[in-house]
Amino acid sequence: MQPYELPLAAAADAIRARRLSPVELVDSVLDRIEKVEPHLGAYVTVTAEQARRAASEAEHEAAHGRYRGPLHGIPMGLKDLIDVAGMATTASSRVRADHRATTDSTVAARLSEAGAVLIGKTHTHEFAFGLTTPQTRNAWDRGRVAGGSSGGSAVAVASGTATFALGTDTGGSIRVPAALNGVVGLKPTYGLVPRHGVISLSWSLDHVGPIARTVEDAALVLTALAGHDPRDPASLSVPATDYRPGAGTDLTGLRIGLPRTYYFDHVHPRVEAAVRHAIGQLEALGARLVEVDIPMTRYIQATQWGLMVPEAGAYHEGNLRTVPEQYQEDVRILLEASELMSAGDYVRAQRARTLMRAEWARLLDQVDVIAAPSVPMPAVGADEATVTWPDGAVEGVSDAYVRLCAPANITGVPALTVPVGHDSAGMPIGMQLLGRPPRRAHAPAGRPRLRADAAGSGNRHSGLSERPGRRVLAGSAIRGGGVPAKGSAAAGSDQRASRTGRPTRWSEAATSAAPSPQGSAAGTWPRSSHRRISPQSSTTPKGARVRRR
Amino acid sequence: MSTVELTPPEAARLAARAGLVLPAERHAAVAAVANHIHGVVAVLRELDFADVPPAAAYRAGQEPHDAAV
Repeated sequence: MQPYELPLAAAADAIRARRLSPVELVDSVLDRIEKVEPHLGAYVTVTAEQARRAASEAEHEAAHGRYRGPLHGIPMGLKDLIDVAGMATTASSRVRADHRATTDSTVAARLSEAGAVLIGKTHTHEFAFGLTTPQTRNAWDRGRVAGGSSGGSAVAVASGTATFALGTDTGGSIRVPAALNGVVGLKPTYGLVPRHGVISLSWSLDHVGPIARTVEDAALVLTALAGHDPRDPASLSVPATDYRPGAGTDLTGLRIGLPRTYYFDHVHPRVEAAVRHAIGQLEALGARLVEVDIPMTRYIQATQWGLMVPEAGAYHEGNLRTVPEQYQEDVRILLEASELMSAGDYVRAQRARTLMRAEWARLLDQVDVIAAPSVPMPAVGADEATVTWPDGAVEGVSDAYVRLCAPANITGVPALTVPVGHDSAGMPIGMQLLGRPPRRAHAPAGRPRLRADAAGSGNRHSGLSERPGRRVLAGSAIRGGGVPAKGSAAAGSDQRASRTGRPTRWSEAATSAAPSPQGSAAGTWPRSSHRRISPQSSTTPKGARVRRR
Repeated sequence: MSTVELTPPEAARLAARAGLVLPAERHAAVAAVANHIHGVVAVLRELDFADVPPAAAYRAGQEPHDAAV
């Protein structure tokens, strides 16, 4: 195994034990970039010399006994919405070509302090306003979309050109590309990771989070990122927390919400089969499956659009009037149309969000975590604009990719995508785990906690939670992907990745048999073992009446 | 639910009223996208919100710094 292939945790262990130097690791990643980046287009800018200098300094520190922690000497990519002092933050747009950041964003500063080495800035769909990132190609098949908007970050991690990366997520922009490229992506709780110095798409929906190869890796990055910053008005005050998962895999007593509605509607059958199989693995580890109804499903897209479009329009109001021709057409026309939305549209969306947050809080009182597909279908061809479902419904590709991610942006609940299989063409499939925000993370007495305390009692893997003051987050049982095998697009070949040598999708602790789409059919799902709860309408919130006109 | 759609001249006029002068060749496309967005968000008019405040309502002062945040 080459150093660029190592997951973050393994690289950190090797660096700490002086079995691997940061210089070796960074050189390996830069060599990998030389080989595959021309085929993938993940990076806006590669800062090779700066990275080599930083790696040398990290090596010097390690040699003199100064070890900053698990990110010491680890190569990373930052989505090019994130300010790094002295560099352009282009947002992959001509509008920002002449920009230079004067100071670090909060997240860049925290990662630098933790010892991470910046390899470069990664491509985004222009200003994060899209789901495909057309400049970048999928790490598994160059003819398919990378997903977006954090497409460069996900492809860099999947292809071995960054050990981890940061993305932003306003309607799935971390989870979508992570799922489509077979890696782990975490959208943290709204406000947990400060956004100061990060270009906004929509202030009330934006999140910053890690993309990595394993859940443990994502947790290590989150640990360095989380914490209050008064310069972000949404920033939460949280005590320092170690988010790494523990080693145990007993899920006895954990209540996993299995959506009866919404999340499995208009979903590719191979995606459904892979996700249901993965959920079955969690059940086999002791979790109890509880069928749930997703609230207010009819209003999810309307609320997402009603918030995002006017906020994006407000952010770009000035540039749209001075340099409109410098935007790509797909973004420009959305910004122009945003000017025609009314204040009433926006306030209605904010009121709908109030209702939706309350309904989701009730839902997450009844289960510990919700498991669902991350996206309805794997990566589509780069020239495909729509998807046609078996019932004849036609859906825009971007609408489809946002659909299952939007609820977590509207409500702010944490959401994690992990790879759980492949479709018949070998393209990755992601499963999404949605948890409680920290305020609601307390497990009822008598129930296993979402994450064991330091003493190691109780359940240590439970899905997803961010529990201040404790080591949290489950799912080291679910190990992420890694570097696509030879023969994949990342290796510079037109061939699709062969199954041989593909990264493990599921930890050895969870099961020795990796879930695969072939291993389970939706029709064989043991529904009889589920208990239905949440009898209220899936579309009518409490406290509001439906008024049809 | 209202099905009234903006015509291209109406879209151009409303944009101009917002301070955005659209080139003539963009009027039709912007009107079409604006109508599509309106069609999506208009579904929220079905809801009777009663006294429900917008989520943007804020808490004055510092949030308590405790483990529950």
